[in-house]
Amino acid sequence: MRQGSEELTRWVYQGIWSVLSHWFRVPKQPPTLPAYSHETIESFRPSVGFLRYLKLQFWFLLVLIDLLVLVVWLVILISSPMAGVILALPALVIAVVPDLIAYVAIHLRYDTTWYVVSDRSLRIRRGIWVIRETTITFENVQNVKVTQGPLQRWFGIGSVTVETAGGGQVAPGGHGSHPGAGSHQGLIEGIDNAERIRDMVLTKLRRSRSAGLGDERLEAVRAEPVWRPDHLAVLRDIRDAARALTT
Amino acid sequence: MNGTSSGGASFDPSAISRPDRSLLKYYFLIALLTGPAFPFAFLPLLFKYESLKYTFDEEGVSMRWGILFRREVHLAYRRIQDIHLTRNLIQRWMKLATVDIQTASGSAGPEMSIEGILEAEPLRDYLYAKMRGARGEPSTATSAASGDDKPPAVASSDEALQLLCEIRDALRQLASAKEEK
Repeated sequence: MRQGSEELTRWVYQGIWSVLSHWFRVPKQPPTLPAYSHETIESFRPSVGFLRYLKLQFWFLLVLIDLLVLVVWLVILISSPMAGVILALPALVIAVVPDLIAYVAIHLRYDTTWYVVSDRSLRIRRGIWVIRETTITFENVQNVKVTQGPLQRWFGIGSVTVETAGGGQVAPGGHGSHPGAGSHQGLIEGIDNAERIRDMVLTKLRRSRSAGLGDERLEAVRAEPVWRPDHLAVLRDIRDAARALTT
Repeated sequence: MNGTSSGGASFDPSAISRPDRSLLKYYFLIALLTGPAFPFAFLPLLFKYESLKYTFDEEGVSMRWGILFRREVHLAYRRIQDIHLTRNLIQRWMKLATVDIQTASGSAGPEMSIEGILEAEPLRDYLYAKMRGARGEPSTATSAASGDDKPPAVASSDEALQLLCEIRDALRQLASAKEEK
């Protein structure tokens, strides 16, 4: 029975997904990065733990809000039974409809989140209503942050934030109204291999000798001194020849 | 604009100078969403659309717009920090996108928002390819664009050596000529 209901849920969700992805013009393919040499491009999405984590938050809020709605409705019902009966249906709608929408939204959020990591850069796609793709090269990364709350630790997930130079607060109500939309950062949230991603970005960060501000790579030039021994030898010859001239 | 270029390495943004006409429709719809404020919302957007001009060249990109209040933004590809490709539902319906480019300046918003380009993904990948760090180490890069790295440094020091040799030889000739006198 439980198996059957799960199957049914999956079918319903897939139906919603296919309709939405068609009408909402959600890109069908996961994002990719252009490859210029033999780099490995790896694309992944948040771990299943992230979905469970979001759902736990969802159930918690659902119980909280629906209890509130129930209490308010009961108070109305007791104070004036007539109004309570009339308001029964609206109260039910208020209690149920947002839950359904939020539940579908959680799945959509999970299904539209993609992370692509190559040797040189990372690309993040996120969003349902506004689909936002962020591309950052590791050369420009200034720092890496790893965050994990107690609940997230329970679910075995963590978040990696990759920040580039240039500050600025996230504009309220603007682009930053959904998570990870902060302007100078890429948020890789809800992954179960946060340490690996962190180490990968860090090794690239440490190897880079530039400030990550768009400066040219100078170490290739600096690596070899301007005056090499053969230069010095010729210079000494010049000095001797000049001395021979003056004497 | 011109629907011929289909992206990839063959994408050439230098042909782009004006946004696509559908941007005006998009602006119209956006302004409609503001309801009674439509004229006040649409007029600036109409002005922006009418005057918007893009210039993509080898080193950077500039955009300018405005009829009463004019604005110009210029930036170099090398200084790009991150690129955001944003598409909301209306934009996806109209096959439009906004390419936000950010440099390391302190402002919270993007330094440049390129709107109304139908080939937004090829443009994004073009900008990405021009970004620092996208192509890898200069010493392994074989493209002619990396000519400012190791090879010229060696060449110039060799040239210096050759020049020094010539000076030495000239001095020796002078010295030997003096001795003969």
